[in-house]
Amino acid sequence: MSRADLASGQVIRMSLLFRVQHLVLTVLLLVLAVTGFSLMYHDNALAQAIIRLEGGVHNRGIVHRIAAVLLMANVAHHLFYMLLSREGKREFQDLIIGRRDIDDFLQSLRYNIGAAAEYPLFGKYGYKEKFQYWGASVGTVLISITGFMLWAEEFSMRLFPKFVLDLALVVHGYQGLLAFVILFFWHLYNVHLHPSVFPMNPSWITGKVSAEWLRREHPLEYEKLKEEGLL
Amino acid sequence: MRRYFLAAVVFFLGAGLLPGPAREAGAAISLEKCTLCHGKPEFRKLLVDGHIRELYVTADSLKGSVHEKKACTDCHFDVAEIPHRERPKRVACTHCHFKGNKEGAPQSDNVLAYFDSAHGQAIARGNPKAPLCQDCHGSHGINKAKTADSKVSRFHVAETCGRCHMEIYAQYKTSIHGVMLAKGIGDVPSCPGCHGEHRIFKHTDPQSSVFATKVSEQCSKCHSSIAIMSKFGIDVEPAATYKESFHGVASQFGSRTVANCSSCHGIHDIRPPDDPLSMVNPKNVPATCGKCHPGASANFAVGKMHVDAKKKDSGIIYWTATFFKWLTIGTMLALIVHIFLDMYGRTRRLRGEQ
Repeated sequence: MSRADLASGQVIRMSLLFRVQHLVLTVLLLVLAVTGFSLMYHDNALAQAIIRLEGGVHNRGIVHRIAAVLLMANVAHHLFYMLLSREGKREFQDLIIGRRDIDDFLQSLRYNIGAAAEYPLFGKYGYKEKFQYWGASVGTVLISITGFMLWAEEFSMRLFPKFVLDLALVVHGYQGLLAFVILFFWHLYNVHLHPSVFPMNPSWITGKVSAEWLRREHPLEYEKLKEEGLL
Repeated sequence: MRRYFLAAVVFFLGAGLLPGPAREAGAAISLEKCTLCHGKPEFRKLLVDGHIRELYVTADSLKGSVHEKKACTDCHFDVAEIPHRERPKRVACTHCHFKGNKEGAPQSDNVLAYFDSAHGQAIARGNPKAPLCQDCHGSHGINKAKTADSKVSRFHVAETCGRCHMEIYAQYKTSIHGVMLAKGIGDVPSCPGCHGEHRIFKHTDPQSSVFATKVSEQCSKCHSSIAIMSKFGIDVEPAATYKESFHGVASQFGSRTVANCSSCHGIHDIRPPDDPLSMVNPKNVPATCGKCHPGASANFAVGKMHVDAKKKDSGIIYWTATFFKWLTIGTMLALIVHIFLDMYGRTRRLRGEQ
């Protein structure tokens, strides 16, 4: 954190590498969603227009697979970075879901319906961020497995009866839909529509949030930075 | 007899030499005069290629046909003298059969459709083997397709096409469609059922009703009809599940290489799945899939091929799809509830802080 940042009350929340990974993820997920749902809902006129735009159903598949491979590369890079680098290891520690997050989640529910007096205090990542992170990670791995099974259909046909591939197709489509629903109703709310950030939490572009926002939304992280003398 | 014949020849040779008006009077040659020669059963011609052309025609030849009131020269109008010195040209049906004719022939554009077709185009290119109207409809005994003994009737047309398309006819006859047709069941398709009547194109021509991307549509005309399929105890589901499958979707978006109905079930040799010669007999499925997906194992052939995830009898696929459906709906509702609770709590928090 530079002096200028501190003077203007800014705190770094996402380093450049994470911002790049996030941006790549955003673009690839959009490409995968557009190409995937246009096939899943091929009876829809808009889906048909999109498939035509992509150059037909064959090219749609190629675009979808290129995006999928890039996404998996992005995820693999992220995984290695989280496990091996100094910054990654620190972030990883912050992201591990513990007993406390479940308690925080339940307490926030109780608070929201008026049954508890105190709203839980969050560290750098609260239960919202952690659930989103792990949901997306596990979902990506699972959807990659079914995606590979369908892609390498000749290999799959050697090993499995047809119903396994039918199953993979059903699971792949619904996993995509589920991921989309979660992004739409959870992530979009948390980083765009939530009153504390509306219209947008700027950290995915600038990497920074205001110290005041951090104090309100992630007070434990704020305290920690203060103790470390970074604020 | 012979004397009369000679007399007639002399008479007509004479008529040929007469000046114009007298010749005109003799132009409408009566049936009796034609049958002077053509009425003899042994009246035939040996062609240069060794074929024999039967030229035997009697007063009964047109009887019972749609043309029974016509005279010989109504169609063979280039015969103006007897005996004709040149070989009469092939009859041009288009003389009467066009839209707007005043002869009383059916008002139809079928002749134009024919000229567009693979057969008409072959004729236009000068292929002597390509069929003209009379090759399918017959010459003297022409009847409407609805008449049972017409050459183009439901039960006879395959045989008529088979006169040229012999191998295909042989395959068709042993296929389920051919076998059922032979049993007198009129619901099954004969050649025109899939290929069309006059508008017949090569299967590689995008105009064809059996072009790769149109095959499933063609089969579905009958195989998605509960009214027809219930008579034979055949499921209509495969027509719909194909459309939803990878193959079906790719086909709808114009892929010509993806599997259509006939890629797996056969073309003219379609047989029911329990027939050991059927391409979709469980024993043959690995080889059938293997045409496009080399390495498809016997294991792959286990179970149902046409699966509808929305139907209970699809078993685990149905239950998985149902589970995911409710999981998605449940997640969506839970997230919406969470958003509202969060906003509600948030306003309380803000109020407290102020």
